[in-house]
Amino acid sequence: MILKFSFRNIWRQRSRAIAVLATISLGISALMIYHGFNAGIMNQYRENTIRARFGHGQVNTKGYRDQIWDKPWSKWFELSSTFVQELKARPEVEFVFPRIAFYALLNNGEKTLSGAGEGVDGKSESKFFTTLNVIDGKMLSNEEDGILLGKGLAAALGLKIGDRVTVLANTHAGSLNAVDVYVTGIFFAGMKSFDDTFFRIQLPKAQELLDTHQVESMALGLRKLEDWPKVESWINNSREFEATPFNVLDKVYYQNSVDFLQAQFNFMFLVIVIIVILGIFNTVSTIILERKGEIGNLRANGDSYKEVLGLLLTESVILGLMGATLGLLISYICNVTLLAHGIEMPPGPGITRQFTTFVELQASFIPVCYLIGLLSSLFGTVMAARKVLKMPITELLKG
Amino acid sequence: MTFLYEVKNLDFNYQLEGVQFQALKKVNLKVSAGDVMTFAGPSGSGKSTLLNLMGLMEETSNDMIFYNGKCMGSMGDGDKNNIRRFDIGFIFQSFHLFPVLTTYENIEFFLIRQGVDEKRRKELVQESMEVLGISELQNKRPTQLSGGQRQRVAIARALAKRPKVIIADEPTASLDQKNGEAVVDHLFGINKKFGTTIIVASHDPMVLRHSPKIISLKDGEIQKESL
Repeated sequence: MILKFSFRNIWRQRSRAIAVLATISLGISALMIYHGFNAGIMNQYRENTIRARFGHGQVNTKGYRDQIWDKPWSKWFELSSTFVQELKARPEVEFVFPRIAFYALLNNGEKTLSGAGEGVDGKSESKFFTTLNVIDGKMLSNEEDGILLGKGLAAALGLKIGDRVTVLANTHAGSLNAVDVYVTGIFFAGMKSFDDTFFRIQLPKAQELLDTHQVESMALGLRKLEDWPKVESWINNSREFEATPFNVLDKVYYQNSVDFLQAQFNFMFLVIVIIVILGIFNTVSTIILERKGEIGNLRANGDSYKEVLGLLLTESVILGLMGATLGLLISYICNVTLLAHGIEMPPGPGITRQFTTFVELQASFIPVCYLIGLLSSLFGTVMAARKVLKMPITELLKG
Repeated sequence: MTFLYEVKNLDFNYQLEGVQFQALKKVNLKVSAGDVMTFAGPSGSGKSTLLNLMGLMEETSNDMIFYNGKCMGSMGDGDKNNIRRFDIGFIFQSFHLFPVLTTYENIEFFLIRQGVDEKRRKELVQESMEVLGISELQNKRPTQLSGGQRQRVAIARALAKRPKVIIADEPTASLDQKNGEAVVDHLFGINKKFGTTIIVASHDPMVLRHSPKIISLKDGEIQKESL
């Protein structure tokens, strides 16, 4: 009966009930869509970071990344080690990509520029690293003498697909060595420092250049992102090796972006919640003022302050739940209609390339939406009802 | 002998926009269980104030009103709420029915608040509707009823609580002569049938004609009591 009473009371002033519902549902849908938008960007950043360059993480010998080594190759390792074989055999691990990073000079016969090189297993990496935006040619694959380089670097050297270039570097013994390669692809990651300096050649070519049979690190491609903690723990428990996740490897681009977006979301979250509470307060204040006579009647017939507040809060709970449900529905409908083709985004911080992001509504955020709908409705009602409920019964009965 | 109400030398002041008004002066009154009494007088005479005080609706800390031998000034909010919930039925000039509830539900509402079980509620609601002759209106909402019908629903609602006393403030003021007479008949009929004490505040001559005991007030003072 009390529920029926509360439910009917909500609809007694239809326009006001719609105003409250609209306030809650628009607030909730804004929150849900904004949260989904952030999740979309974060997931895209994460996928870019993983699939463009770093994989899910990297394996090095223990302590290698902690300091600058006078002779870094002394901390490099053989691919034939038992650890590497066991790592490859783990069910969570889909790919192991051995790598060597080095600094080198690139010469096109006319000019020489410095660059940051990486020796990679082109064939296997081309299967996993799918989001490195190759704008000309193709990813490094089977080409033994191929080189994939950034747009800025290629432009500075005036290189195009098929052009030859000499890569010069010091061997670990300190002598100068060189290998000749030809351009198979040019990428545009959108990060200027990366596009202007970075290049990749095949791992055997890099090992020939540096006169080594060892590798510096291994990038890992897992079957599922969620498996990382398990694999990381297994690696860190070994005596010789340690693992570093992609978000640490790419702190500047990925983690800082995620932290920035999260801080922005928290602020907007607060603003939206305050707007919803004030909206509810405004409408409910009017509703309660118009129901003074009814409240007086309840008080006259023995209801305490808390009991009348309880009745009003029952109504606000129903409104909060209905508003949140409606808001979630609106956000879903918007996502499959207006936002279905994604949102064209300008380049993010540190990036020069535009991108399209999609709103990825998160089921895990639904309980938060209900909680916000409920609490803002309750809080707005308490604020609005406080003053009226404290009025003397005789004043209330005057209406 | 314990009276249902005993008012001793009651003074009561209002504070209105910083100015103090004396609404009641040295009022003395005794009401026994089963009495029917009407406070009469022009607007501003203090009759509604006295009624509100006896209905425990007006905040007062004075110790000049006693309900069932208990001093109202010393009662806590919980005690007052309980007395209003179980012992007093209210009838107001503007009915104060819940517009979203049907006649049946309006009458049932305060029984739910009393914690009466469903079976007993049904009996009480049906009996009250029969007494007031409104059984056929049980599924109608207040907006579908005339003024007289609404007031009869309000009386049925007060009666269903089976209160010791029914307090009615200007119960006929919003009604025409015919409906007003019907309401008064019902109200005083309840006293005869159930022995409920009835206290009315009214300046309607028709009510006064039917009332067995009239307390006339003027400027907050009792002018005369007539039987």
